[in-house]
Amino acid sequence: MMDFLTVNAGYVVLACALLIWAGIAAYLWRVERRVNELEQRLSR
Amino acid sequence: MKFAIMLGATLFGILLGFVPGITRSRPVWWRWIAILSVTATVVLGLYPPIAGTVTDAVMAARMDSTKVVPVLVVRQIDPSNDSSLTVVDARDPRVVIHVDASEDVAAAIDATDAPFILDLQRSGSDMRFMAQKMGPVDPLITLPYIMGLEERARIIFFHVPMSWVATIAYLLSMIFAVRYLRSRDLNHDTISMATASVGTLYAVLATVTGAVWAKFNWGSIWNWDPRETSIFLLLLVYAAYFLLRSSIEEPQRRARLSAAYSIVAFVTVPFLIFVLPRLLPGLHPGSSDDVNAGPLLSPKSDAINTTKQVVFGLSLFAFTVVFFWLVNLKVRLVGLTDRINDNEVRS
Repeated sequence: MMDFLTVNAGYVVLACALLIWAGIAAYLWRVERRVNELEQRLSR
Repeated sequence: MKFAIMLGATLFGILLGFVPGITRSRPVWWRWIAILSVTATVVLGLYPPIAGTVTDAVMAARMDSTKVVPVLVVRQIDPSNDSSLTVVDARDPRVVIHVDASEDVAAAIDATDAPFILDLQRSGSDMRFMAQKMGPVDPLITLPYIMGLEERARIIFFHVPMSWVATIAYLLSMIFAVRYLRSRDLNHDTISMATASVGTLYAVLATVTGAVWAKFNWGSIWNWDPRETSIFLLLLVYAAYFLLRSSIEEPQRRARLSAAYSIVAFVTVPFLIFVLPRLLPGLHPGSSDDVNAGPLLSPKSDAINTTKQVVFGLSLFAFTVVFFWLVNLKVRLVGLTDRINDNEVRS
């Protein structure tokens, strides 16, 4: 396992960075949708 | 050209940030542009292998004879001597070198006609190298080798854009503070506060990424280098801005004093970001004792690599667009809180 991580360190870093960004992007998307819903509800 | 890419990417990001209005909901296409541009930045910043030239390997060996440098080469078939392993620098075909390699590496080199990356260590003369390992074959794109930075040079696509966008954020905060003082419209105060707070988040992220990088490159996470000291002072200046805001209840008074403070605070930004770190000797590129203007601005070949400039431009654009998305959400959340509070007061 350690050998795999050492040999493919670049890909491991890339995968971790993409995973973190996917989490942030999903969170932003969700907040955007929630804010939209709240704005529409308050406008009624 | 490189300045055009950087300036164009930043301005395009700012223009897109104001579409369809800084306080309006972000359309789906806009959100996808933000998400895909950051994804592309992460992939293009971390995936391409680093590959230098034979000249890089020679220069590195002069500093440290045991240095191993990845070089993009092509195998040369020498009809006069089949046993000789010779390769050509893929970027400069005039440079031909002899390579000693283990049986496995030699067999792998023999098996390909495409350009490939070879980890080379100078052995005896500038024409003879020891091949330590064979890297990716026929890589689509490569990033330049920068002596002393190597793989750590990738930080440039994350740390530098965050600092740039933080500076732009403080500029926008000052502009909206001036607009508030002229119009007394509380929306301008909210935008000024939101840009300052997201800008501070970016400044903190730039500091943290820089500190982690410094641990591996300079030996410790904090060195009181002039640029580190100046970002620390800048964070203190803007921490005082948020303290000031949180200490005043009445909205108009809070907005008035915060706007005045934001304008005064921004006066320190050009001095702390652009002047002080260049006046004093330090570890960062661009310090007074730096012989280059830094890896990005240097006229050397490693800095004018087109791939690097394009990826850097893309990262500037991506981080700018995400900045505007965060500002937009912050402004709208403050607006929602105010409306809910108003409704509660009325009921």
